[in-house]
Amino acid sequence: MKQLLLKLEPVVWLLFGQGILIGTILLTGWILVVNLGVPLGIVPADALAYGRAHALASNPIGRLVLLALIALPLWKGAHHLRSLSIDFGGAGRDTAVAGVLYGIAALGSLLGVFAVLGL
Amino acid sequence: MPDIHMKKFVVTRFDPDREEAPRTETYDVPCQSDWKVLDALNFIKDEIDGTLSHRWSCRMAVCGSCGMQVNGEPSLTCKQAVSELPDTIEVAPLANFPIVRDLVVELEGFLEKLQRVKPWIIRAKEKAVEEGTHRQSPAEHEEFKQFSMCINCMLCYAACPVVANEPEFLGPAAIALGHRYSIDSRDEGAAERNEIFRGEGTVFSCSYANECSEVCPKHVDPAAAVNQAKFNAVIDWATGLVLPRGGRE
Amino acid sequence: MARAAHPEAMAPSKPGRTRTAPPQMPPKFPMQGRYRAYTIFDATGLVYLLMGFGVLHAVRALGDGAAAWQAVLAGWANPVYVAFHLLALASVLFVGVRFFRLFPKAQPPRIGPARPPPGPVIHGMLYAVWIGVSVVFVAILAGGIFR
Repeated sequence: MKQLLLKLEPVVWLLFGQGILIGTILLTGWILVVNLGVPLGIVPADALAYGRAHALASNPIGRLVLLALIALPLWKGAHHLRSLSIDFGGAGRDTAVAGVLYGIAALGSLLGVFAVLGL
Repeated sequence: MPDIHMKKFVVTRFDPDREEAPRTETYDVPCQSDWKVLDALNFIKDEIDGTLSHRWSCRMAVCGSCGMQVNGEPSLTCKQAVSELPDTIEVAPLANFPIVRDLVVELEGFLEKLQRVKPWIIRAKEKAVEEGTHRQSPAEHEEFKQFSMCINCMLCYAACPVVANEPEFLGPAAIALGHRYSIDSRDEGAAERNEIFRGEGTVFSCSYANECSEVCPKHVDPAAAVNQAKFNAVIDWATGLVLPRGGRE
Repeated sequence: MARAAHPEAMAPSKPGRTRTAPPQMPPKFPMQGRYRAYTIFDATGLVYLLMGFGVLHAVRALGDGAAAWQAVLAGWANPVYVAFHLLALASVLFVGVRFFRLFPKAQPPRIGPARPPPGPVIHGMLYAVWIGVSVVFVAILAGGIFR
């Protein structure tokens, strides 16, 4: 398991790095409009009325953007929580913690693929 | 008549033959205005308590011997001015290292990590003497020069939270020095070092604290080296997936 | 006195001739001095993890139909969610600024024959992309483009 983790480090690091870069860039706009703007009425509700939202999302680029918004933050989050665990004396449990966290990120990413395909 | 200012030095003491665990002892030291912390420690040893043990040598921040925690920050005691510090000054051995005695830490662990990264020019075939010297342009020299300024003072190891928690992590200075050779135009060992950087003690353990670069007295910026090494290791890994490595020693 | 670090931190492969005292953590870790920003940086991982699942939830609702989608949007008006999303926004900005500061120096001096642009240029490019993409994304989502 530990050897597997070492072998996968470059992949995880790339996903984590993109999670920060692309994830951060995309999340800014998403949070501003979808999480705050529309629910609080600052952005008119019909901007994200079902018809329009679905049309934007089911566009191939839309699907890709949504997949990035799901998967990349998950990998960033998983890797950082693993770091946090190690920072607080978790070297002994690291293999287990990494397995669980990356497993969650992988599962979430897979569910994300199904979700964007199911639009 | 120089300015004298009394300061309290709270110094970690530990004698492995006589004591269970480190303790502190407080010394009142009449500090001159231009003193560094090292001057005060030498005063303590010379005039107050001859049993104090501490490492030092050049007194000018090039040998890397005198690294210690001063008021919680890893510092070169020959460089840190007493006048910049409050009236009570805590001096402790470097964090993250096993403590041999008083302010002296065990450095063998670092030397082993350093050896693992092969910090020397690796050539597939040594150039014959008749062929002359390696030629390197100033621009090529600039690429790695910053990372060659490391004086092995270990302040970066004392500051790094990953070093504190992951015993196998190669650590800032070792990775920076290995990377220094990998990007040296005379070197042909980058592939070898990338394997080492992805193995046990992996560079990917670095979690971007940047503390190493904050405390480095020679502006080596080991954080830059470690993160460049990650990038190079990934490129190496990715090309290794696509292109076969056959023929490499 | 400081907390103990990992008992084998910086330990040599063979013990020395005398007994050593165990290594100590850097005293200011985790929440004093510069370590505080670092620990917070790591902790934003939880926010990102929750956001990832939040987007997943939204996309699944969008796939389920109009009623599910409207319910998700309406649910986010709840003060608890508003507070969380404000925290998420702050986290995203904090992470972006910290990471962008590190990004230029993490570029190798050369990849083959190509050299990266100077640090300040990379910095400027990163912020230009961040702001540019956000403006376009907000415009699209808020109905300014592709009505």
